[in-house]
Amino acid sequence: MSEKFEILNLDVKAGDTLKIKGKVANDAENFVINLGKSPSELGLHFNPRFKESTIICNSKCANCWQSEHRDNHLPFSRGSEVKFIVSFLGDKFKVKLPDGHEVEFPNRHGYDKISYLSVQGGFKVISFKQE
Amino acid sequence: MSCGMVCTNMGVKAGKRIGVKGEIAAGAKSFVLNLGKDQANILLHFNPRFDVHGDARIIVCNSKDKGEWGAEQRESAFPFQEGTNVEIFITHDPSNLTIALPNNHQFKFPNRLGLQVIDFLNAEGDFTIKSIQLE
Repeated sequence: MSEKFEILNLDVKAGDTLKIKGKVANDAENFVINLGKSPSELGLHFNPRFKESTIICNSKCANCWQSEHRDNHLPFSRGSEVKFIVSFLGDKFKVKLPDGHEVEFPNRHGYDKISYLSVQGGFKVISFKQE
Repeated sequence: MSCGMVCTNMGVKAGKRIGVKGEIAAGAKSFVLNLGKDQANILLHFNPRFDVHGDARIIVCNSKDKGEWGAEQRESAFPFQEGTNVEIFITHDPSNLTIALPNNHQFKFPNRLGLQVIDFLNAEGDFTIKSIQLE
């Protein structure tokens, strides 16, 4: 995987929305958007995989992965420009995909604030917005 | 100064543009945007001073090479208001950075480190980043 794009010291609270726009690489096998406290404490690991045509979501606690959620709806392709709208709703995360489909994932660690974001793999960030 | 957002591995090559939009705090004294390779290798330290260190309404710029500050450059244009949103655009080439400010103010700062790629951005002080555009 390519070098990680990271943002530290974010201040994302319940009710806030992040908009992440980027370009999926032509040869991407998968990519990852992580949200949490640090690389080893993640509330949401969002991982579209093109070969399996699935989006995997998970969380990480003390650097250990927890149980996976799988959603086999992948409405975007390699080489495309896409936007994800991630809402932090307090008890859960909601990711709106380019076709409007929403993937939900519980806030398993009960975070009241997200301070860390990273993007890895075949996805180049074009813009990042916090609202 | 407060510890603001830090963004790494942006991979912005010469000719591409970085846009930073944010909110200047009400009663702001000063804020900083740093752009470069990392915390110790800063191509542009951009520091609008509203009222701090005996300076009033002036932009102070500098660079940092392996942890050492260079010579300051001061810009008298100051198109900033406390308590408002602003957008700042930065482009770079092997010899200069071009910084575009509100109200069509623009100035250049030398690319003293000769960096080809901007990987690092951080904000400090009375400024909250709302969006980053890498195009």
